[in-house]
Amino acid sequence: MTVALAVFYLLAGITIASGVMVISARNPVHSVLFMILAFFNSAGLFVLAGAEFLAMVLIVVYVGAVAVLFLFVVMMLDIDVVAMRQGFMKYLPVGALVGLVLLIELFLVFGTLRIADAPIAASVPTPEGVTNTEALGAVLYTEYFFAFQLAGIILLVAIIGAITLTLRDRGPIKRQNISEQVHRDRTKSVRMRRVEPGRGL
Amino acid sequence: MVENVVTLAIIVAQIMAIVGPLLLAVAYTTWAERKVIGAMQLRQGPMTVGPWGLLQPIADGAKLFLKETVIPSGANKVVFIAAPMITFVLALIGWAVIPFAEGWVIADINVGILYLLAVSSLGVYGVVMAGWASNSRYAFLGAMRSSAQMISYEIAIGLIIINVLITAGSLNLTEIVLAQQSVWYIIPHFPMFIVFIAAILAETNRHPFDLPEDESSLVTGYNVEYSSMAFALFFLGEYANMILMSAIAVILFLGGWLPPIDIAPFNWIPGPIWFILKICAVLFIFFWARATLPRYRYDQLMRLGWKVFLPFSLLWVVLTSGVLLAFDML
Amino acid sequence: MSTSYLFPAAPELLLILSGLVLLLVGSFKDHAAGARLVSTLALVTLAVAFFATIIVTPGAAIYAFREHFVLDAFAGFMKGVVFLGALGTLLIAQPYLRQEKLERFEYALLVLFSTAGMGLLLSANSFLALYVALELMTLPLYVMAAFKRDTFKSTEAGLKYFVLGALASGMLLYGISLVYGFTGTISFTALQDIYAAGDVRLPIGALVGLVFIAAGLAFKLGAVPFHMWTPDVYEGAPTAVTAFFAAAPKIAAMGLTVRVFAEPFGAFVADWQQIVIAVAVGSMALGAFGAIGQTNIKRLMAYSGIGHVGYALVGLAAGTERGVYGVLVYMTLYLFMTVGTFAVILTLRRRGQELERVQDFAGLSKEQPLLALAAAIFMFSLAGIPPLAGFFGKLYVFLAAVDAGLIALAVFGVLMSVVGAYYYLRIVKLMYFDAPPEPFDKTIEPELQAVLVVTTAVTALFIVFPGPILGTAQVAASALFP
Repeated sequence: MTVALAVFYLLAGITIASGVMVISARNPVHSVLFMILAFFNSAGLFVLAGAEFLAMVLIVVYVGAVAVLFLFVVMMLDIDVVAMRQGFMKYLPVGALVGLVLLIELFLVFGTLRIADAPIAASVPTPEGVTNTEALGAVLYTEYFFAFQLAGIILLVAIIGAITLTLRDRGPIKRQNISEQVHRDRTKSVRMRRVEPGRGL
Repeated sequence: MVENVVTLAIIVAQIMAIVGPLLLAVAYTTWAERKVIGAMQLRQGPMTVGPWGLLQPIADGAKLFLKETVIPSGANKVVFIAAPMITFVLALIGWAVIPFAEGWVIADINVGILYLLAVSSLGVYGVVMAGWASNSRYAFLGAMRSSAQMISYEIAIGLIIINVLITAGSLNLTEIVLAQQSVWYIIPHFPMFIVFIAAILAETNRHPFDLPEDESSLVTGYNVEYSSMAFALFFLGEYANMILMSAIAVILFLGGWLPPIDIAPFNWIPGPIWFILKICAVLFIFFWARATLPRYRYDQLMRLGWKVFLPFSLLWVVLTSGVLLAFDML
Repeated sequence: MSTSYLFPAAPELLLILSGLVLLLVGSFKDHAAGARLVSTLALVTLAVAFFATIIVTPGAAIYAFREHFVLDAFAGFMKGVVFLGALGTLLIAQPYLRQEKLERFEYALLVLFSTAGMGLLLSANSFLALYVALELMTLPLYVMAAFKRDTFKSTEAGLKYFVLGALASGMLLYGISLVYGFTGTISFTALQDIYAAGDVRLPIGALVGLVFIAAGLAFKLGAVPFHMWTPDVYEGAPTAVTAFFAAAPKIAAMGLTVRVFAEPFGAFVADWQQIVIAVAVGSMALGAFGAIGQTNIKRLMAYSGIGHVGYALVGLAAGTERGVYGVLVYMTLYLFMTVGTFAVILTLRRRGQELERVQDFAGLSKEQPLLALAAAIFMFSLAGIPPLAGFFGKLYVFLAAVDAGLIALAVFGVLMSVVGAYYYLRIVKLMYFDAPPEPFDKTIEPELQAVLVVTTAVTALFIVFPGPILGTAQVAASALFP
């Protein structure tokens, strides 16, 4: 138990620290790298919570695909951090004031909160003896089938949108036709000609 | 408390038991590669250091170890040094879930196959970070190529894995192997095996898909600014990754530690030996491809990944699930 | 409670399936010809979806997809209105796309998918379905705003809309998660059942969540104080897209807002009434005063849209069946007026160039008296002058507000419509009393003609035949208050 607790604090601590670094790092690439570290540690927290499937998917999807592309964009953009921070000090007092007011309001709101105010409908834990993957799959394809399918359509729309905005028809360009190349043989490309001596072709 | 310490010690011992031999295997993979390619090209390969050049990898390692570490002046130091470490560590941690025989595994987790997919998807970070931190155009170009390539082929790999895991009905690697007792998945999923081998060649940036380190156009790509131990870590990482990917191929398609036929002379040989033999066979394909095939052009590589492998493996997923559903074998 | 499989969602499924098929059609056809074919088929699909909605809409609510989806008279009515709006704006977009050389088949596809999202949004019966459908609705909108991708303004509009839309989605999600955390359910039906029982109070955390949800919805509606994106996006987006924005998504968002406040939080009118009143007052005032200084007709329409959302919210603020009835009537009539106004804007051209300045309306009556008459009718109607349709929309919402005791709000609304009348009437003055600097292009494309005739007829003749709209709106409103 103590080991698990220690690991939890370690992972949670690193997550929070890297979260802070994401917004405070001077170099935007470092920010992204810290974000990746935060994802990684969150995946660790998921494992501790017994949600190993979510942990792995978090890494495969977010760290393995989304963050890489993000990292790329950030690397290729030449972001001038100094210029971006120029207005920072000027707006800091106003921002801090707004933040403070919000904080006080939140305290006022949650000050009256009873923690024991239990949710009215209880959440459903993973059934005994079923792996997490199976349990997720079972609800994803039944209870939440609607949202799951719609999410797929949203992704399709995202693809259509990205192509709409970026694909340019560059006019007539030479394209490689692989099957034509592969199916080319000697009879189509070489012809044997008997050349008369002294006559040429 | 004592229990915790003992558990920890056992885990460390298990890790050492895998990492030690693995590093040795990596070293001798480089030797084997040079020998195999030598034989294919009617040369002898390394012969001078030790009998049949057997001490060559040790000599190479010692040489790299003794060289001076050069950090380019414009480089981002922390990221520059972290990149090879990440590559190397990632090549090692995948082994935590690889079963060498029934029960011979450090962590027998339920989502083993996803863990491997996650680890291999992280591999791109070492390359990207190296390319960016080197502050060099060649390195950055190599990194860009590499990550685009690895992400593209990872999608195909993911779909191929889906085929295997719906056939086996589990994400646990041991159960996937045990599900192949009647027939190895190379037989029903033969086209997927071919695609998988091609995809892992691309995933590990090996010939004929080694565009990230294409020496004729990019000098050597993302690791051009690296020297000595940092370079050695990349090098070791690449070969360790090859072995890991071969192991995954063996588990998914070649029946893991199972003997080809479960009868007398074959099942006398213990499972781990079979496992290692099969890994060697897959590694041989890596060497063979390197000796035989010319390098792909980059647009062709992308075309192959997105327009051939991806739709084909997706089609195969539909086919597999259709067949499994039709014959009620899910 | 009756449940069903797939059938209630037939119109949306039709839209999505036809979107998928048309995607293939468009990919394999030549550019301009393919775009035309896809657009025509998309128009047919939208028309079929409209009639399908009428057919499948039942008397009592039908639930589908494990109660994430509900089809009742309210959803059916709003869907019908939204599909009509999408149909009309896609139709008037055709000549525009031809003239601006924007003929790409993706346009019609994006409209189809977005409209499908709107339909599903109006039928959402859980916060999860709500969120997913909302994203399906808005994602194509971002792309459409940037559809004229070679101009700086259009891409800027797309980016601005995307960033602010993402922020709004974030707030909405945060609110949803709070509501889920404190009540333990995301289902509208369950929330309604729990709190309908008696004097259960909404947990304070869920109340905070409700505020965040309201903020997210106000963003999508373009209501004060989350309206900042509308003028810029309306101005930057291609005019045909602006017409679509002003018609379909706004009405869908309004329908959603009404459902969220009336169904899951129906028992807490006291909790949300002040929010809605504040938003309505702010929107009406900003719509009236903000539009006065505008010189660009699209920006002016943006402020006008903000104002109209404010008027419609007056009906919601009442929190009664009559109020919702007013909202439905208002939004339906607003649809015809807006689509008509945009058809006029799209028709105005000089030497093939589109005209965007308010000043460009000058002298329209001398050259095209019929078009000017139609424009004048829309302007009077938008201003709310009897006996045109816009007057009745305002009348019903204000009456509902008075009924619910919100007399001050109603009076304020009337005052703001007087202020707002100024800029609508200014356009009429420009058309009838000023001279055109240069002649307008004479041709009116057949699609625009058709839409102009229909919208003018509805706007002008609503007083004679109010029955169909009022009757169905009554049934629809009563569906939310069983």
